[in-house]
Amino acid sequence: MKTDETQLKRASDAALTSLLNLTILPVIGFIALLLIYRKTRPGDIDRYHALLGIQINIIAAAVLFLVSTLMILLGGFDSPWTWVYVITYFTLVHTVFIVFALWALVRAWSGDKLKQA
Amino acid sequence: MKYESQSIAKLYFIAAIGLFVGQILFGVILGLQYVMGDFLFPEIPFNVARMVHTNLLIVWLLFGFMGAAYYLVPEESERELYSPKLAILMFWIFLVAGALTILGYLLVPYATLAEITMNDLLPTMGREFLEQPTITKIGIVIVALAFIFNIGMTILTGRKTVISLVLLTGLVGLAVFFLFSFYNPENLVLDKYFWWFVVHLWVEGVWELIMASLLAFVLIKVTGVDREVIEKWLYIIIAMALISGLIGTGHHFFWIGTPDYWQWLGSIFSALEPIPFFMMTLFAFNVVNKRRREHPNKAATLWALGTAVMAFLGAGVWGFLHTLAPVNFYTHGTQITAAHGHMAFYGAYVMVVLTMISYSMPIMRGQQAANAKAQIVEMWSFWLMTVSMVFITLFLTGAGILQVYLQRYSDTPISFMETQSKVEMFYWMREIAGLVFLIGLIVYIVSFFVKGEEVKMAEAE
Ligand code: HEM
Ligand code: HEM
Ligand SMILES: [Fe+2]
Repeated sequence: MKTDETQLKRASDAALTSLLNLTILPVIGFIALLLIYRKTRPGDIDRYHALLGIQINIIAAAVLFLVSTLMILLGGFDSPWTWVYVITYFTLVHTVFIVFALWALVRAWSGDKLKQA
Repeated sequence: MKYESQSIAKLYFIAAIGLFVGQILFGVILGLQYVMGDFLFPEIPFNVARMVHTNLLIVWLLFGFMGAAYYLVPEESERELYSPKLAILMFWIFLVAGALTILGYLLVPYATLAEITMNDLLPTMGREFLEQPTITKIGIVIVALAFIFNIGMTILTGRKTVISLVLLTGLVGLAVFFLFSFYNPENLVLDKYFWWFVVHLWVEGVWELIMASLLAFVLIKVTGVDREVIEKWLYIIIAMALISGLIGTGHHFFWIGTPDYWQWLGSIFSALEPIPFFMMTLFAFNVVNKRRREHPNKAATLWALGTAVMAFLGAGVWGFLHTLAPVNFYTHGTQITAAHGHMAFYGAYVMVVLTMISYSMPIMRGQQAANAKAQIVEMWSFWLMTVSMVFITLFLTGAGILQVYLQRYSDTPISFMETQSKVEMFYWMREIAGLVFLIGLIVYIVSFFVKGEEVKMAEAE
């Protein structure tokens, strides 16, 4: 399998938009990521990283917002303990996703998949 | 080891680790006093133990930075240290001055200490982190100047590299900003204002340069990645650190009586402060991913990666959490601050010093890396200390959120002390995590004495 320059560039962009969606450009980052995904073909490295980014972000959104919402619903909006759990949970887990996306970005830069091929 | 004078670092590192143990013992005492108010009273009151805990931290980190510089600079400059004798002399002066100061804290009442050290001639005492008697402060300046002279002469008369110049800039900055500790205006607003010139401009300014250069040095050594790649990153990281960090000082000027515009300036610029830490993570990941060799010192690589991640977590994320003025309005001076202070100091500066020690100590002891068994023990200590610090942070964050809610946010706020009794559970859990940290530190020290078969660098392909 050969990886040409455009694919490498696109894989890097995909990983970057994924990271941006997790940090300073939520939603916009994801739309950009979807647009990149549409340009890729199955089996290529850019497809791999676009797909990985989409997966990370969907899982992150689910894990962060669903669980937080659940905590609020179960704990009640006016209970201090709800906020103890929600804020601590959200901050820590959010960071874990960001660090993971950082590693993915670095792998995309070198044209590699997450695991050594 | 390429140059004999590098081995002076060993002295500094041993002292650093010794004082680190002291710092943590006092941390555990403090944690217990939080839940058992009269523990060790009146022998060691909380305020004294706190002062010893924080001052030991600063002093051992300074030992660590100096040791790191003495190891790094000759190698980068490709020459022996300008004056090894001066470095050894300064070591003993600093150690004795440091020990006397700590003993002073413990043995006589603080007011007496101020009196016998003639604080009234030039009053500088009594402020958090800067509690040292004025003569100790003068001693610190002398040691720092001799140190910078020694390091500076070595760098300027040898090979100049980006790494050593960034390190030198950081160290000069450290000394220069410390001078503000001698300025102690009567006006409380001005006092606080300039106090932050030391505390903030250290950890969120010049120390970041020190950290970035040490990390870059170790990463080059363990990965074999080209200097040019690393230097590009260094430029961007230090530029971002200074751009965000200097005006970012404003996040301490929200409520101390300074003009209102600081709420805007402080919020906006300090919101950018996570960027250099973020980039250090990206940088470390990238370099390790592109590594050209498998260095036998796996533990040092782990410490380097750990530093990059934990500094981002403690400084970047936990700093950002309370840095915007509307948030800080509620969280100012609560356990959230302590949570952040612990993880940031540990993740950035404690860990970067331990990274340098992990890489250089085996070499100074005549090996490429510690033996496999010793490295496993060292990596255990990495995880014990790092995970327990994450828990300390989480428990303090929990305590802080509850504190903010009950005491400041609620429609029916309760008093400070009433709040404290409601968050006691968290303080117990913090204490348990603190004990695990202490165990991790003991395991760390044990790792230096574990015997085993020597490991060697695999030949490059
Ligand atoms: C390694 C770097 C850092 C270290 C070691 C560190 C350490 C500390 C410490 C010890 C304090 C408490 C000071 C005191 O009142 O006694 C503090 C306060 C604070 N830090 Fe950091 N910090 C770092 C980076 C950051 C960053 C990057 C940010 C922002 C993004 C930040 C935001 C804050 C804020 C807003 C406060 C004031 C909290 C309050 O109002 O009580 N810090 N920091
Ligand atoms: C390397 C590890 C550690 C570092 C870098 C560290 C650092 C610090 C710093 C910077 C402060 C001042 C905080 C502020 O001004 O907000 C502090 C205070 C404190 N530390 Fe630590 N510490 C460490 C370990 C521990 C441990 C293991 C414990 C105990 C369980 C502990 C307990 C405390 C307590 C109780 C305070 C006083 C907080 C207060 O005044 O409310 N520390 N430490
Ligand atoms: Fe600050």
